[in-house]
Amino acid sequence: MTIEQPLATRSPRTLAEAAEAHLDDVVGYLLYLTRDRETAEDLASSTFEKALRLWGRFDPARGSARTWLLGIARTTALDWFRAESRRRRREEAAAVPERIEDSLGEGLSPELEAALAALSAGEREVLALRIVLELDGDAAARVLGISPTAVSTRLSRALKRLEEKVNEG
Amino acid sequence: MTVNEIVDELRATRPRASDALRLQVLTLASRPAPPARTLLGRTRVRRRLALLVPAAAAVAVASAVVVGLTRSGPHGQLAPTTPEAAQRSAGATAGRLTGPPSASDAATPQKAAPGPVAGRAQRYSAALSLQVDDTTALSEATQQALAIVRDLGGFVVSVHYATGEDGSASLTLEVPSARAGDAVTRLSDLGTILAQDVQIDDLQESLDTLDRRLGQVRARIVALTAAIDRASGAAVRARLTRQRAQARAELRDLRGTRSATAAEARDARIQLDLRAAGDASVPASGSRLDRALDKALAVLAWEAVVVLAIVVAAAPLALLAGAVWATRRTRRRREEERLLATS
Repeated sequence: MTIEQPLATRSPRTLAEAAEAHLDDVVGYLLYLTRDRETAEDLASSTFEKALRLWGRFDPARGSARTWLLGIARTTALDWFRAESRRRRREEAAAVPERIEDSLGEGLSPELEAALAALSAGEREVLALRIVLELDGDAAARVLGISPTAVSTRLSRALKRLEEKVNEG
Repeated sequence: MTVNEIVDELRATRPRASDALRLQVLTLASRPAPPARTLLGRTRVRRRLALLVPAAAAVAVASAVVVGLTRSGPHGQLAPTTPEAAQRSAGATAGRLTGPPSASDAATPQKAAPGPVAGRAQRYSAALSLQVDDTTALSEATQQALAIVRDLGGFVVSVHYATGEDGSASLTLEVPSARAGDAVTRLSDLGTILAQDVQIDDLQESLDTLDRRLGQVRARIVALTAAIDRASGAAVRARLTRQRAQARAELRDLRGTRSATAAEARDARIQLDLRAAGDASVPASGSRLDRALDKALAVLAWEAVVVLAIVVAAAPLALLAGAVWATRRTRRRREEERLLATS
């Protein structure tokens, strides 16, 4: 008799398994980065398209599927930020309607929602990875491409700012 | 609101994907993945290097061992060239072959020494410098050298033999020119060749000239004798007789010169120097294993020099490429930080 390991603790055999296990993580991370659900879901879809192309390169020995997918999501999001930045520069003179910002999570208090909106994408990113998705320091460092110490520092600053903003409001 | 309360709330309100997206992504992810690339394509650069470096090192060591084993024959002998080939390399008229004087070359000497060309008169002289293991081997080699010369119909001109810490023997030998190549080859087998010098000078042209001159002088003598017989006056007869005497003297000189030249071509002179291995000025002969190791180490050293040269040549380019890569990476990181800080 063989005992099937839960998917969360074993390496997925197919991308479909990985998507099933980590889609919420990818969407949550992208939502915290962009603060726009529609954009986050578009980027999540792009992330999995890229992941399908790159699945042959995924090496469980180098990191979990979740870390790998979040890394792809980050690259996809950065490309989107670059495109957004160019678009904003182009349309600077014109009256561009402000982006409607969505709720980052159902049931989130308005004070916390406002405080999160006041943070930068970089700060929200580290909060998403370390607090919301509960990635450990090493995994978050791998996704962000920085050292675990830098992740801790960044997280500490982001939490401090978030606390200030919440209590300001 | 404390940090702990914030953390709890953030975790409790963790975002979830919409059902529509979930369906879309799961449908997408269920598609067959693109075909796997080749093994080489799949392996990353670091892995390729991790495989390539030991593989290259193994090839380098293996080639050194193979070279060491194949070139460590008795007395560091290479596969001997044929006497005919050696003869061709010496040239048909005159030539000089100098044996390897350096220690590295000593391991790979040319053993099949060229001999004189059959049918032509040639002056042949050779100098051989050999190393033997010790003074006992020196004595044996000296005896064998004398035996070889006798066996080939030659003789010993002189022998100087000295024993002691650095024993040595110096032999001047003469053998029939026709067997000179054979003699050098057999003498070379008495030890490890340190140096070999063969000189061949063609004498055939000189002999041919002498022969022509002899014919002319003989014909002149005959003509003068006939003229003397026909001469009527005493004064004419005396002048012709004087001329014939001069021609006869010239004939004698020419015969002597021809005889000496022919003698030079008849015998080859070989100078053989033997040294016992105790002499620190020459490399030790050692066993075949020692020679194989020496040769393998020499090849490895040569490979190391080549690798070092490549590294030295490539280092500036690699540094430049590294600097460009690091600069681009840093700039990209900064740009990403800026993007995320302002979004």
